[in-house]
Amino acid sequence: MSAADAQGVCVGDRLGTTDTYAAGEGVFVRDGFVIASVVGFKRVEVPAAAGELPQKPTLHVASRDTLPLVPKPGDIVTVKISRVAQTAAHALIMCVGRQALSTEFKGVIRQQDVRSTEIDRVVIYDCFRPGDIVRAEVVSLGDARSYYLSTAKNELGVVYAKSATAGAAMVPTSWVTMQCPDTQAVEKRKVAKLESLVSA
Amino acid sequence: MAAAALALGKVVGPGDRVLDVPEQGTLRLSAGLTTHDGAVSSLKGGVLKSTRTGQLFLEGRQKRYIPAEGDVVVGVITDKHSENFTVDIGGPFNAVLPQLSFEGATRRNRPNLHPGDLVYARVVSAHRDTDPVLSCMDTAGRAAGFGHLKEGMVLSCSSALARQLLGSPTAPVLEALGSGLQFELAVGLNGRVWLCAPTAATCVVVANAISESEFRTPAQVKTMVARVLSRLG
Repeated sequence: MSAADAQGVCVGDRLGTTDTYAAGEGVFVRDGFVIASVVGFKRVEVPAAAGELPQKPTLHVASRDTLPLVPKPGDIVTVKISRVAQTAAHALIMCVGRQALSTEFKGVIRQQDVRSTEIDRVVIYDCFRPGDIVRAEVVSLGDARSYYLSTAKNELGVVYAKSATAGAAMVPTSWVTMQCPDTQAVEKRKVAKLESLVSA
Repeated sequence: MAAAALALGKVVGPGDRVLDVPEQGTLRLSAGLTTHDGAVSSLKGGVLKSTRTGQLFLEGRQKRYIPAEGDVVVGVITDKHSENFTVDIGGPFNAVLPQLSFEGATRRNRPNLHPGDLVYARVVSAHRDTDPVLSCMDTAGRAAGFGHLKEGMVLSCSSALARQLLGSPTAPVLEALGSGLQFELAVGLNGRVWLCAPTAATCVVVANAISESEFRTPAQVKTMVARVLSRLG
């Protein structure tokens, strides 16, 4: 990195004009200027020339080498259930795909997004409990407080849960039940159909 | 069942082996009891008692009320949402009272309750990790004494005293007070007793008598109440 790149940029700094640069992540365009929207380091990516027209280099600002990762609709995320209510389960989004997030985002799995059949007869307490690790899909950016998540597919749902009495990791026994290996107690969950679980 | 009958009145601590599960017959376990390794063991400290219907439970002094299904509670409405009320019942979570769980309530005709109002309700479902759900109707859909409690005062007491006040035969303090005074009361197993009387003096007398009666024998309670009533004139 050259000396100029090593200087941090602040929110609001004008980094260039839209004639020279295309806007990437961490910047926005106002009045023909490309302006930083986060605190970080400037990075210019020169794309390989596609076709005859030379492409404009893209300007990014990121606090680290990697671009900030934020859940988008359609992403498969790994969440931890924080609270279970009557009509929704609240969760903290910890990973997007295979990458862990530096900050946790809030998500909510509403009653109608838990499964695809009989959605009005869902009992949230029989699908998720606080502390469960769940694989879900981001449906939308949601409201001001949380992303809207969905587990309405076979491969989405609870991937890891501890039993209520013994605290041991439970073993899935069907798509709606998990069993504790110590006490043999059966608990209800909406279990994810992982490739490793489907035996020949 | 004979073994269970013999064990009644036994004082146990948390984790104690209370009695062995008999080979034949059924045992119905309620608050504070669970099975472990073929024996009934206790989850908290208390005295082993049996309800009128034969359910075994542990009665112990507990500071915090833990809601259980079937309890009756006195709650304070803290919030009004589109579909339900949030009610403080003194437990770890605030409870949810659906707006349609009142006798004669429909989507057009909702109960006219506001934050701060007192309600007498029944716990419909209570789980460890989620909000309890209340209802102001009995299982048949009638009001049965549940609903909005107007005016009056609320007295805090222990859950053990509340269970005594709700039990049958009628608690001696209530019998003694009822013979001399006119008042209305609603007892919540969450340790709250709602009292309403024509005069404030009567309310205060009843409240004091109830709190004082917890550790007295029936005879002592009778003399105490007689003394109080004679002074009241």
